Amino acid sequence: MLRSLRLSVVPCLAVALACVPACSKKSDRIKIGVVTNCTAEFWSFAEAGANKAARDYDVDLQFRQLDKAFDASAQTPIIDSWVKQGLNGIAVSVIDPQNQTEDLTRVAKKVPLVTMDNDADQTGRLCYIGINNYEAGRAVGRIVKKELPKGGTVAVFIGNTKSANGKARTQGVLDELAGQKDAAGTAAAHPARPDLKGKQFGPYFLVDGEAKEDGDPSNAQAIAAAVLGRVKGIPDVCCVGLYAYNPPAILEEARSKSMLKDVKIVGFDENWDTLKGIANGEIVATVVQDPFMYGYRSVEALAAKARGDDSKLVKEPVSYRIVTQHGGPDETVNGMVVKYPKVADFESKLREDLASVKK
Amino acid sequence: MTRILGVLGLLVALYAALASSDPNAGRPDNLMSVANLQGRYGVITLGAALVIIVGGIDLSIGAVVGCSAVLFGVLMNEGVHPFAAVPAVALFGATVGLINGLLITRLKLQPFLVTLCGMFVYRGVARLLGGTIGQASVIERHPEFKDAIRTLRYLFIGKSPTDGDLLFPAQFVILLVLAAVVGFFIRRTAYGRYWYAIGHSELAAKYAGVNVNRQRVAIYTVCSALAAVTGVLLFLDAPSVQSDNAGNAYELYAILGAVLGGCSLRGGEGTAVGMVLGAMVLPVLENLVTFQGAKSDVIPLVIGATLLFGAIVDELIRGRSRVHR
Repeated sequence: MLRSLRLSVVPCLAVALACVPACSKKSDRIKIGVVTNCTAEFWSFAEAGANKAARDYDVDLQFRQLDKAFDASAQTPIIDSWVKQGLNGIAVSVIDPQNQTEDLTRVAKKVPLVTMDNDADQTGRLCYIGINNYEAGRAVGRIVKKELPKGGTVAVFIGNTKSANGKARTQGVLDELAGQKDAAGTAAAHPARPDLKGKQFGPYFLVDGEAKEDGDPSNAQAIAAAVLGRVKGIPDVCCVGLYAYNPPAILEEARSKSMLKDVKIVGFDENWDTLKGIANGEIVATVVQDPFMYGYRSVEALAAKARGDDSKLVKEPVSYRIVTQHGGPDETVNGMVVKYPKVADFESKLREDLASVKK
Repeated sequence: MTRILGVLGLLVALYAALASSDPNAGRPDNLMSVANLQGRYGVITLGAALVIIVGGIDLSIGAVVGCSAVLFGVLMNEGVHPFAAVPAVALFGATVGLINGLLITRLKLQPFLVTLCGMFVYRGVARLLGGTIGQASVIERHPEFKDAIRTLRYLFIGKSPTDGDLLFPAQFVILLVLAAVVGFFIRRTAYGRYWYAIGHSELAAKYAGVNVNRQRVAIYTVCSALAAVTGVLLFLDAPSVQSDNAGNAYELYAILGAVLGGCSLRGGEGTAVGMVLGAMVLPVLENLVTFQGAKSDVIPLVIGATLLFGAIVDELIRGRSRVHR
């Protein structure tokens, strides 16, 4: 009995594991892998776009949202496995461009590689699919200036300050507030609250003199709560959330501390709670990237490349848009047309996009 | 032997499923990648298993791995030669283990509590030390260290000094060497008998003349030193390490490997072969779900359910074996 149990378990388990829900394995179909930098709703939008492109271009897609947020050591084995598996193309949201360059260069020599959302331009990748994060950061800064025209107190929240997109967005915000390029700010104590230390960027006081980094979505709310607690009672406060999950975290804490009327919130990326906050007038605006299109165009470009067509490779940064409660006319900033969609229209389009794809 | 039958069967099933998942999955270069990760997880599993054998637990392993990886980078950034930084980091790990051991044995604090607090403390130390750090950023600051770092990477990871291609699974070789040492100690020396005795019954071991406190301190010291060595391996293998999350959940991988490998959480049980086999499960399972092209949403479920199934089968086999004895 014991012997038969032992003998039967191994093949049973092997068969069960071989039946794990997986993408279709027809060997003649193009196989493409997309790996993100964390697990987030932002990436679910991208996954929907990638799935749509996979259907449109008859591609086997492996889309991996990274369990360990912003951990390059967790991203590398996935990419390596895909290289060994012989995928026809890989799209990566790069976490640490400087330190990943060597590995990604090796990958790019073996498999067509595109970067999306976050670039590593020294790797030999085919193209970058994403916005100009610095310019998008400046757009956030312009919204802050519009809300606090005479200056005020600003707190910036972000998931990762070391990633290329994190650095560029943050610097864009600060440069716009300071009114100069590569602004470093001047160490200062808050004029109304001397115990609050930070840096002055023009007429704007930045709490703690740097963007508050959470490292993981699960920490975002606690960090927002701590900062809001410190600025309570100060007039003209604006909180900026630069990763998709930051604005809802700020909103939730501002609500729980009854500070909604005292704090202006400016967001980044599309997130259902952020959009709801804008519709309710609780969040001023959010600068959006269109992750659905990132996913779609990544798969589209790689599928076309696998079929010998380079025409789908993206040559210019994607335009960012600014979603507000009531929308507004297009604006041209630094030669780029910026659209101001109304939140209701934007949300219904997003739902339409997602509904067009079976998860 | 029965103790490792379950995990052996699980591994055979996993490798069979992997080989059938994709024609490229069974190729040597993929198996080497898997073996390398098995080596890294295995080194911490050895430490965790020793602690479990003496009836303890160490939840600070992951934080020590992360802190050591960041410390290794920071030391080199500060001008410490890579060859000197390796023993310095190992010494740091040993010191952490010594502190854990002394707190547990001298102040009679619960191992769970001490190492749980340690988990927060050493993660905090990592964050104080620095943010994201990797080989490229160290080399940019100290170009003179490039050859030494590449040599260490070749020796400890098996990656080519030129382009970083994996040439051989050095981490798995390190695991085998360390497992042989651990196996020698637990099977061929009096220390091994002390450790099993402490795990079975601390009081009985005391009455038998074993210096329980000293043995426990030594085991915790070894465990954290191995975690620190794993931190060095992580730094040399990964593009970069981040103080917030480097080594996250490694303590769970280590404990999982030890338990799958036949260690009882009640103490007093465990073999070196079992530790190695237990540590091999998770990396091959992770590789399998990637080759299967499993959707992100189902991966945690598949991994968790497979491990649970393996544990149930293992328990069934052991239970029946006990009845037949």
